Amino acid sequence: MRTIKHIWSLGLLTTGILTVTACSNLLDVDPRSNVDSQSALTTAEGLDAGLNGIYDRLQNTALYGRDMLAVAEALADNAQATNKSGRLNNENRNIAGSSFGTTFAPGTWQSAYFAINQANLILDALPGVTALTDTNRRNSIRGQAQFLRALLYHDLMRIYAYDPGVEIAQNSRGGVPLLTTGVLNQGQITFPARAPIADVYTQIYSDLQGSINSFGRSAGSNGTLPTNGNLQAAQVLFSRVALYNKDYATAVKNATDAIAGTVKLSPNASYVGGWRAPRNPESVFELAYTTPENIGVNNALQTTYTTLVRVGDRTATGGFGDLVPNNAFIAELEAEKNTAGQALDIRRQLYELGTTGRGNAFIECTKFLGKNGIINLDNVPVIRISEAYLNRAEANAMLGNTANALADLNVIRTRSGLPERTGLTGDALLNEILRQRRLEFGFEGHRWFDLKRRGQDVIKTIPLTTTPNNVPYNDFRILAPIPVNELSTNKSVRQNFGY
Amino acid sequence: MRKILFGSWLLSLLFCLPVLAQEIAVSGRVTSSDDGSTLPGVSVQVKGTTRGTTTDADGNYRISAPANARLVFSFIGFLSQEVAVGNRSTVNVRLDNNAQELNEVVVTGYGGTVNRREFTGASSKVAGATVSNLPVGSFDKALAGRAAGVQVTSANGVPGGAIQIRVRGVGSISAGSDPLYVVDGVQLNTTNNSTFTSSNPLAFLNPSDIESIEILKDAAAASIYGSQAANGVVLVTTKRGKAGKTQISVNYFTGVADPIKKLDVLNTQEWIALRTQARINGGQTSEAARAAVLSTIRQPTTLSDADIAALPTYDWQDAVYKRGITNNYELGLNGGNDKTRFYVSGSYYTQSANIVNVDFKRGTLNTTLTHQINPKLSIDQTLKMSTISARGQFGGPNGGSFLGAGAFASPLIIPSIPIYNPDGSYFGPPSQGGIPGILNQNILQVSELNTIRADINQFVGSLALNYKVIDGLTIRPFVSLDYRIIRGRNFSDPRTADGFNVRGRIQDQLNENKNFLTNITANYNKLFAGKHDVGLLLGAEYRSDVNENLATNITNVPTPDFKYASAAALPQNIFGTFNNFRKASIFGNIKYDFNKKYNLSLIGRLDGSSRFGSNYRYGFFPSISGAWLVTEEDFLKGNNLVSDLKLRASFGTTGNDQLGSLFNQSNFPGLGLVSAGFDYNGAAGFAPTQLANPDLRWETNETTNIGLDFGFFQNRLTGSVDVFRRVSRDLLLPFNLPFTSGYSTISRNVGSVENKGLEIELNSVNLKAGPFQWRSTFNITFIENKVTSLYPGIVPLANPDSAITLAYTDFYGVGRTAILGRPLQAQYTTDYAGVNPATGRPMFRDFAGNITYTPITPRDQKYFGTELPKFYGGFNNTFTYGGLTLDVLFQYDYGRRSFNSQTSFLAELAGRDFNALRSVYDRRWQQPGDITDVPRPINGNIETRGVSGLGGTRTLEDASYLRLKQITLAYDVPAAVSKRIGASKARVYIQSANLLTFTNWTSYDPEFLNFGGNGNTGVVPNSKTYQAGINLTF
Repeated sequence: MRTIKHIWSLGLLTTGILTVTACSNLLDVDPRSNVDSQSALTTAEGLDAGLNGIYDRLQNTALYGRDMLAVAEALADNAQATNKSGRLNNENRNIAGSSFGTTFAPGTWQSAYFAINQANLILDALPGVTALTDTNRRNSIRGQAQFLRALLYHDLMRIYAYDPGVEIAQNSRGGVPLLTTGVLNQGQITFPARAPIADVYTQIYSDLQGSINSFGRSAGSNGTLPTNGNLQAAQVLFSRVALYNKDYATAVKNATDAIAGTVKLSPNASYVGGWRAPRNPESVFELAYTTPENIGVNNALQTTYTTLVRVGDRTATGGFGDLVPNNAFIAELEAEKNTAGQALDIRRQLYELGTTGRGNAFIECTKFLGKNGIINLDNVPVIRISEAYLNRAEANAMLGNTANALADLNVIRTRSGLPERTGLTGDALLNEILRQRRLEFGFEGHRWFDLKRRGQDVIKTIPLTTTPNNVPYNDFRILAPIPVNELSTNKSVRQNFGY
Repeated sequence: MRKILFGSWLLSLLFCLPVLAQEIAVSGRVTSSDDGSTLPGVSVQVKGTTRGTTTDADGNYRISAPANARLVFSFIGFLSQEVAVGNRSTVNVRLDNNAQELNEVVVTGYGGTVNRREFTGASSKVAGATVSNLPVGSFDKALAGRAAGVQVTSANGVPGGAIQIRVRGVGSISAGSDPLYVVDGVQLNTTNNSTFTSSNPLAFLNPSDIESIEILKDAAAASIYGSQAANGVVLVTTKRGKAGKTQISVNYFTGVADPIKKLDVLNTQEWIALRTQARINGGQTSEAARAAVLSTIRQPTTLSDADIAALPTYDWQDAVYKRGITNNYELGLNGGNDKTRFYVSGSYYTQSANIVNVDFKRGTLNTTLTHQINPKLSIDQTLKMSTISARGQFGGPNGGSFLGAGAFASPLIIPSIPIYNPDGSYFGPPSQGGIPGILNQNILQVSELNTIRADINQFVGSLALNYKVIDGLTIRPFVSLDYRIIRGRNFSDPRTADGFNVRGRIQDQLNENKNFLTNITANYNKLFAGKHDVGLLLGAEYRSDVNENLATNITNVPTPDFKYASAAALPQNIFGTFNNFRKASIFGNIKYDFNKKYNLSLIGRLDGSSRFGSNYRYGFFPSISGAWLVTEEDFLKGNNLVSDLKLRASFGTTGNDQLGSLFNQSNFPGLGLVSAGFDYNGAAGFAPTQLANPDLRWETNETTNIGLDFGFFQNRLTGSVDVFRRVSRDLLLPFNLPFTSGYSTISRNVGSVENKGLEIELNSVNLKAGPFQWRSTFNITFIENKVTSLYPGIVPLANPDSAITLAYTDFYGVGRTAILGRPLQAQYTTDYAGVNPATGRPMFRDFAGNITYTPITPRDQKYFGTELPKFYGGFNNTFTYGGLTLDVLFQYDYGRRSFNSQTSFLAELAGRDFNALRSVYDRRWQQPGDITDVPRPINGNIETRGVSGLGGTRTLEDASYLRLKQITLAYDVPAAVSKRIGASKARVYIQSANLLTFTNWTSYDPEFLNFGGNGNTGVVPNSKTYQAGINLTF
């Protein structure tokens, strides 16, 4: 009896030990909130989800959620920081290192490359997904991925590299690292140096041409929505890229193609109203934000630009209103007046006096005002059709096609409530085109890049002080610093001059 | 088997032989020296034999022993006593109660205990009495200053809030550094899963139910817990029933909590003048500046100087800080007979914080049952249930924007802003544009109207069977469940700033954690030939821990009276997550003791965990240790000076499997993952988030410990000295990848950290004169922490240090930088050099030591100390006079350098619309020639072509402190008096905690934890408490 008990208890112990050591699958636990990356992009649904993942990345604060617009404005000469939350103070003062993230906060660089990798993975996987038999859908997916990759590489180029034709040779360290295949496991990681500026533009051209071709063969697929990449968006972007590349003929061609597209310029009567609607009717590419994607009270574009909650209601204070137009910008908007002394430019209506809820009231930009029905929730127009006219006008002006340039300029001017200009030529014409571009895209993140691509100095004054804080074009701060992480992990990458 | 049986039979025969000589029957009664009451359950043993008995319910015993034998009486909580029988047939004994006697047994895990004299590892013991009857929500808070090598820091002053315990320093970079907590054999999951409140997973336990706490510190002591033991193991043993008359104990205390201090800030007139000056210094004309300041505070810009002088000042700190109240009610029953013993207790504890609307309520029910089924079989059962309802600070470190946190904002709000309107309503609700300034919300309104709450229900239960196979061999199967469910709520009232624009927001959290554990152990102990004492432990274990979380976020309620989700119109987010890990292990321990003089212990544990890469799923953690009782040697035996001397040495490895931040708390770190939630325009999306790493493995600690335990002058002076070296390797580091790869990091086991330390524990009886006694205990721990390797190939920073640094997010969500060759939690910044006496501009030192206005990062960065202390400890003095006891505990922590982020705002000197600290204001630069460290105020805090005057080391402060942690005056009412109310024991006491703090820290409290990376901004400070209580035993 006693022995039986011993055997029984020893048996129990042995069983316990054997169970623990022998059954290795005892320790196999599968994730349920995420999935294995190797199998993710093997279906059509997976490709769609992967594509959504890129748009989602674009919504980040470091990209179009804020920085591509607000930081670009803070660095340039349209805006002043109000110091209400302290955000964008350093950017507005052009403090070295505070530009699209800081030396240590990787900011835009990181988000853009993550999104590029996602696009690369989709383009790599697409040919292998044989189950996807719908060619329209396949072309749409390819077109969107190429369009997004082109947009992201161009944004990286305008932030971190000199633009073609205006390089400061002794300071230039090239373009940005160029990666066109995706990384899914450790073995695929590469350590590329910064590609020459021309090579990156070649890639962007190729992606845009590929994208335009793909969209052309994707009839009826969802690549026609302005919330996703589409043909017209690729065309406007191509005209923009070509303008930056001083390739004016290509700019004119693509702008003309785009202007023939479905999204039309808003007329004078509905232009301001277009900015009050959830979706701007001028958008050829607009990032849609849904309720859960609200960036919130610290970093959303609404809180960045205004304290207002509603147009014309100064009793309710919403956000911080950290970055507002400076006097010079307002003066430009009000430069042309009617006999009663009122500003003619209807775009002036997009700026109004904010509240005193967080300190002194300033005239604030109201292009982002919780238009999706919830405070701090706005779609972000990334590309508007107006740009095609201004791109074409500028390209034609550069090509010496004065009449065509003037015609496009006057489309924008008259739409804005300004009288037509006649007889403008040469620098005067070009300056008026650039001036209209500044006013048209106020607080949409164009100004810094427009000055930079033309090699112009940034003339600005810090509010409240008398000391000017200009950034001459030859100043190293014209380029943003590459994040320290990139330099320490990839020795082939060279930091921009001066940092 | 047969051989063992034969051997044991032979051995027992050997021991029985002398007994056969001349037997006499001895009987008697055992009483307590405390109150003369009889003691049931006392072990009575004939010395040198295995023969023994225990006293019955009335304290009587009967045993037969040889004449001239010696009887040994021992009982937990009392000094053992040895009595020569002589020819007496009646031997009555009074046992002396001695808390130090508790120290004599070391709890070693898996049901094991060992006499401290034979223990070969390093551990510290804290008696349950030390941590009970204190105004703390969880016992860990009361361990501060009590044990060498154990650093205890309160995260904040939220009742029942988070506590951090570090045993022998920090030995991990990115993984967790918390010890393993084992309560009555149940390995707890102590992850804080409460989203909205600062909560403590140990708060489920009523500290009064604790019998003792053993903290295992070195590998020899802890490696039986293998991969969970690298950060030390805290073994909590709760009270068990004692056979005999049922004892009923009633316990009540009540107390108050006051803020430790208030910050001295400017009044309205000073603030207006200062803010105006800041604007003038920023380039405005004095008229424009004055008008701007007045309009900021919503006063007419035409106010005259006299009008300004008449403006009132409002004290917002007074409005949000308040007196907290604590009440504790307990009832305990314990008793039983020789077969069945029980301990049942219930408690209800309420505590409100020293700040508005933060409180903690807990009810507990605890039962333990021990039953002897037959002489071979017994069961142990425990069941602890608790329900906690805790309200947290609005905008605190866990939840909300800290702008609205009372602790953060109350000293910063512009002092001219009233708290209430004349009609008694809150001033400045969002419907009226908020209150003026950056801190746009009325913090009293948001604290009172919003709800931040967590309801935590937990039960921890276990069942064990002890089967005594033969004498000395016990087999023990054990199962336990640690179940916790958290209901979190965060209601943003539509009348408050966070809820106004969305018309109210309701966030709910439901988190359920099931932590199942089962093991089986076999324990064999045998004394061979009277000299060779052998112990053997063998076990197998399986653990599965499943966590599921559901969170919802819904806005737009009809009116503030609707507080539940169905009432809200606009769902915003729903989150659901799943986490699971499993572990399987086998372990063993061989102990050998020769002649009570030489001890050797070998431990090994093989651990497998689902968390690790397929190539490294199992890890082996061995240790070896030995001890030499020098005083047992002939040359020291009977020495008057040296009564006890023991030398210990150990070496072993332990593991750390607390992976956290690197994997977003996920338990699947080895896999390549694509994560959901990257949705766009209403359609589901995903993105790659993690690269696979099949080589991911345990973090390993190698600990070497050499210790000396001593007792001098008949043990009037006892203590221990330990030196240790803890080398932590294979530390998981985020191996930075170029962002161009599409990933920021991959985790690799590449880092190492070394902790070297010295621990001293001293206990002394300084004075013993009649009824007067003065005892002291002192402990101090010195630790040197150093990062000894990161990974190769990190490009040094471009500065003279050529510092090799690595940014990471630690387990607790704080972004930090590790620097090779420096301690962890290093402060690496630019050197603030004071103020240019000519202009009042802040100056910094560049890399070469020259003055600059614009230090460049990283060129000018240097190392400026660490948040880890150089040394810490406690000093306790107990004065006893008859029944009167005065207990005074000082606790200290020296050498921490922390950024004072709260003071940083207060030091802006109205550079933005915040109030300022008077001590900073008084030192500010005012005119050329002023030599000071505080620059002139300037709007925006940045001088033209300069950087923020608050940067660099300006707000880096010394957070060292010495604190009168606890002072208690207690009176044990004489039995003669207490009997009148039918009580066998009665004790009354008054007590105060945190009465005095000596520190150079400039905001509220130097004791805080940097949770979430906001430093001490918004942290509810610890409080000063005063309380009185009574314990009665019937």
